[in-house]
Amino acid sequence: MNNFREVAAGGKSLKRDYVAVMMWFMGRAIQAAAAVDEAVNKEFAGMPDGFTFALSVMPNGPHMIVGKDQRGFARYRGWDPEGKKIDLDMKIKNIEAAMLIFTFQESTALATARERLIVDGEVAHACAIVRILDIVEVYLLPKIIAKLAVKRYPGWPFRRKYIGRALIYVRTIFGL
Amino acid sequence: MRLQMYFPERYEFFCPVKINSGNRALEQIPFELDALNARKPLAIAGKDAGETGLIDVILGAFRDSGIAVGVFDGVPVAPDLKLIRELFNIYRDRGYDAIIAVGSGDVADTAKVLNIAVSGKPEDIEGCAGEDLIRNPLKPLIIVPTLSGTGYEMSRYASFDGRDYASHFLMPNLAVIDLRMTVPEDAVTTAAASLAALTHAVEAYTGSGKNPAVDAYAYASIQLIMEHVAHVIGDQHDGGGRLSLANAHAMAGCAFSNVAPGTAHKLGQVIGDLCHLPPGLCMGMLLPHVLKREMSEGGYHISDLLLPLGGFDAYASTAADLRARKAIDILYDLLRDMSAASGGAIFHLWKDAQVSEATLQKIAQKAVGAGASSDIEGCMKILRDAREGR
Repeated sequence: MNNFREVAAGGKSLKRDYVAVMMWFMGRAIQAAAAVDEAVNKEFAGMPDGFTFALSVMPNGPHMIVGKDQRGFARYRGWDPEGKKIDLDMKIKNIEAAMLIFTFQESTALATARERLIVDGEVAHACAIVRILDIVEVYLLPKIIAKLAVKRYPGWPFRRKYIGRALIYVRTIFGL
Repeated sequence: MRLQMYFPERYEFFCPVKINSGNRALEQIPFELDALNARKPLAIAGKDAGETGLIDVILGAFRDSGIAVGVFDGVPVAPDLKLIRELFNIYRDRGYDAIIAVGSGDVADTAKVLNIAVSGKPEDIEGCAGEDLIRNPLKPLIIVPTLSGTGYEMSRYASFDGRDYASHFLMPNLAVIDLRMTVPEDAVTTAAASLAALTHAVEAYTGSGKNPAVDAYAYASIQLIMEHVAHVIGDQHDGGGRLSLANAHAMAGCAFSNVAPGTAHKLGQVIGDLCHLPPGLCMGMLLPHVLKREMSEGGYHISDLLLPLGGFDAYASTAADLRARKAIDILYDLLRDMSAASGGAIFHLWKDAQVSEATLQKIAQKAVGAGASSDIEGCMKILRDAREGR
């Protein structure tokens, strides 16, 4: 028995905190982008009313919950899934995989291809969410980083890219 | 012209091993355990795993998972049944439900045999020794190989304390190949592991058990080894190369599980035992000579071997009747390149063994007894050619 021991799992609190903050910001940014960007708005329009999706890290979070309200607007609904009916749950398998995604070393599409996420819900809706995440990342990040984070960096006109970016940042910060 | 793929009249192929490879692969283990319906794993490792930090890497992968891990890092060289009894008691008394083998060789064999005991009763260790004597699936087994793993740990085989086991139930449910676990080894250890894997893959690809599924694993394994082995031996800090080799070894083990062990494998095992040389090194030294002999006897599919060994250009630019010879020449060249990359250590080790004629006779007899060949003279010819480097 000299060579035996049982080791408790411990935690990675710094990484969890970082991912939680990024998810909080991303959730609010999705809400803002749906109000500013036509493509994001269209993606949400194609989802049923009351549709709610979560992006979470296994096994115990953090979570990001975004839903479409009865009036058809996208709303960030917080980080606590308790009591919420989730229609689509995109689960990142572990906190290290979440770090790769939220430090933009891997795009969401690449992370999905590398089996770092599992999807509980309609695949068509999951694809729409990945497209929305890509658009939001283009708005939020400078090109040099966004190119790593998205599948294909788009050639948007000046107005969409820069005015849209300013509007989305303002709305995200003030939670509009 | 389209290449004709060999398709046998009948074949079987079975490989339950899921391979999880690459950046942060270890962090996937908690998720995979959950998929295997396991919550409490026992990790077993060799005595050096603590010193080299491999255990800490494994434990780090479980942080934030909520899973407590039992760690036993005291598997010695040549473990015995006393160790299995000790591990069996730990596993049973503390309620573990899966085994993680951190390492290859003796560690993987110990994990497989422990799995026989914990999935049934300790007496099964005796009763299940032999060919296909395990009747039911075993508990979840995860193997985390190091670079010294030959791929044997992925296979349906285990050898423990003088007993040999062969059953598909011994194959792990999951192989996790992570760069952090493929720490640089010395040149001879890396060469021996890769040559064993190459031998298994080549003998699967050219042997009578060849089929399209075996080909898929063997082809990928051969190609990866050819691309990376000499470079990794010369520069052990080539992380991408080490990861590729570890994958190649695992794939070779999966192919090897679905064919009968070949002549080079069996002869290499016998020489390794009798001359105290790494068996993988012996297999690799013998492989071109075995193929040469099989070619002279009409051999199976040796000309097809040129494609994974030499690539498309070499295959296309070589006349059909010269391809087998060319494939064997490439294997000789590979041995020379590997030896040069190791500063001559590989050839020196082989030549310094100075195997006498009497020992060769003994090896041939033992190899024929083990089913390597039915022909002692044929074995002697292969052994003499390999010894003289002809």
